[in-house]
Amino acid sequence: MVKKLVTLLILALAMPLFICGCKQKKQAAADGQEAQGKGKIAVVISTLNNPWFVVLGNTAKERAEELGYEAVIFDSQNDTAKESDHFENIIAGGYAAILFNPTDADGSIANVRRAKAANIPTFCIDREINANDVAVTQILSDNYAGCVELGQYFVKKMNGKGQYVELLGILGDNNTWNRSKGFHSVVDNYPELKMVAEQTAEFDRTKAMEVLESILQAHPDIDAVFCGNDAMAMGAYQALVAAGKADRVMVFGFDGAKDVIDSIRDGKIVATGMQFPKKMARMAAEQADDYVNGKRDFPQKVPVAVELVTQENIAKYTAYGRQSEE
Amino acid sequence: MCKYGVAVVIIAFLLYHSLYFEKLQKIKEQQRRGTFSAAEYARDFWDNHLFTVLDKAVDVKELIELFNTNMAEAVRRYGRTPGVSRVYAYLLQGEGKILTAGEEGLEVSVRQPQMNPDIFIATGPYIPGNAVRDASGLIDVSEFSDTMKFNEISGEINKIVVKEVIGPFLDKNPQMGMTVRFFGATQVAQDATEKHPFGHLVSDTGEVREIQLVRVVPITLELK
Repeated sequence: MVKKLVTLLILALAMPLFICGCKQKKQAAADGQEAQGKGKIAVVISTLNNPWFVVLGNTAKERAEELGYEAVIFDSQNDTAKESDHFENIIAGGYAAILFNPTDADGSIANVRRAKAANIPTFCIDREINANDVAVTQILSDNYAGCVELGQYFVKKMNGKGQYVELLGILGDNNTWNRSKGFHSVVDNYPELKMVAEQTAEFDRTKAMEVLESILQAHPDIDAVFCGNDAMAMGAYQALVAAGKADRVMVFGFDGAKDVIDSIRDGKIVATGMQFPKKMARMAAEQADDYVNGKRDFPQKVPVAVELVTQENIAKYTAYGRQSEE
Repeated sequence: MCKYGVAVVIIAFLLYHSLYFEKLQKIKEQQRRGTFSAAEYARDFWDNHLFTVLDKAVDVKELIELFNTNMAEAVRRYGRTPGVSRVYAYLLQGEGKILTAGEEGLEVSVRQPQMNPDIFIATGPYIPGNAVRDASGLIDVSEFSDTMKFNEISGEINKIVVKEVIGPFLDKNPQMGMTVRFFGATQVAQDATEKHPFGHLVSDTGEVREIQLVRVVPITLELK
């Protein structure tokens, strides 16, 4: 009798848990069906070894999830072979769309072409591929125009004269050259501004520090460093601190990353070009959703303006965007 | 010994002529460009297309008024951008009195009383930016497999402006007090008037308030 009572008691206590468990399973199944209903979106990012790209990838993923998709991030580690493997898995995995930040303007075209052949639409973000007939659309920072503006500010801060170093990004990436050429389209008109060294640090903070340390051995009297991204600007700044020159050498970056925005506010870095990774990532996810819903008319290339951030207008900006847009 | 010397010379000769070094950047650049010539594209744009849209250029006085009173309407009616931007390009035209003529450009008054400047017409030795390309609305970035070509076109258009518009104009020796007539392009941010309005504004007391000038890249320039 006591045994029966204990059994009944246990059953009575367990029943709500069982019912609740069933409900949760049903909910999970329903959620799964919802996700399955809209499909999966792949977010392929050139490298997650840079906070700027982490923001780009995470924002794309979050927006895709808000729109009802299951979203997965793939890190290509700046390696086209890894990127190619990701595309194979994505094609085999039956994804509905790819939000793609390419590793190489030429080397990544074949991957997008394979996805297109498998009827998976690709939406490029930030970095471009040198083809206008394979991706659905390419949402790109207007690097050239951004660096024209940055170049004009550079000339103003340098009073049109002095010695400077340029740290380039990855040589196979169009962004590297669009930035460099925009900058030089202004600065090269001032004959008293002498570029004493131009080297790649591959958009990498540690490499930038090492490269600038080496350059400083040969050129200890530089007045400024122009860096093709903010990670390199931070690396360059570290090298200048180590050499005791941070107070008299001006550093210019490009991206709008958190540590550089903070450094501009603290008076350590002079200026950067604000790209808008969150805006671009959201746009790409929304356009992928439009595509899945039947829209087909997209502009092939959409340049997104870059804005100059300086110590004078820093109050308007936050990391990766404008204060007013957060 | 002599045989070895000859052999070394021959090997050195063969090595020298069998190896060829070239900068990676140069190779990539050539591959990227293909047969595209930004200079030829800009030439065709200037000779055959740009002047067909100058009839759409808005009067400079009307544009300044809109900038100062209703920027959204200025953008809606006359602004152009190739993508997503807070900066819009405008085709504009008008005439005004030259107040100063410096190395970089002319300060010109287009509104009465013609005592304070409204616009700055660039006449310096180089022109940066994309004002003419974007204001024309004739060149679509999506036509290009890589955006560098799109940007190179701007550089070439600006060179034509310096050589074929500014050069001949400066040869006429423009002076303070002369009247200049122009077609041109400008780029203005949506929030440009947050701090100061464009052009001179004279208050009831006759006081001239702090202002900024509309910066014009000229497409035509002539003295009246």
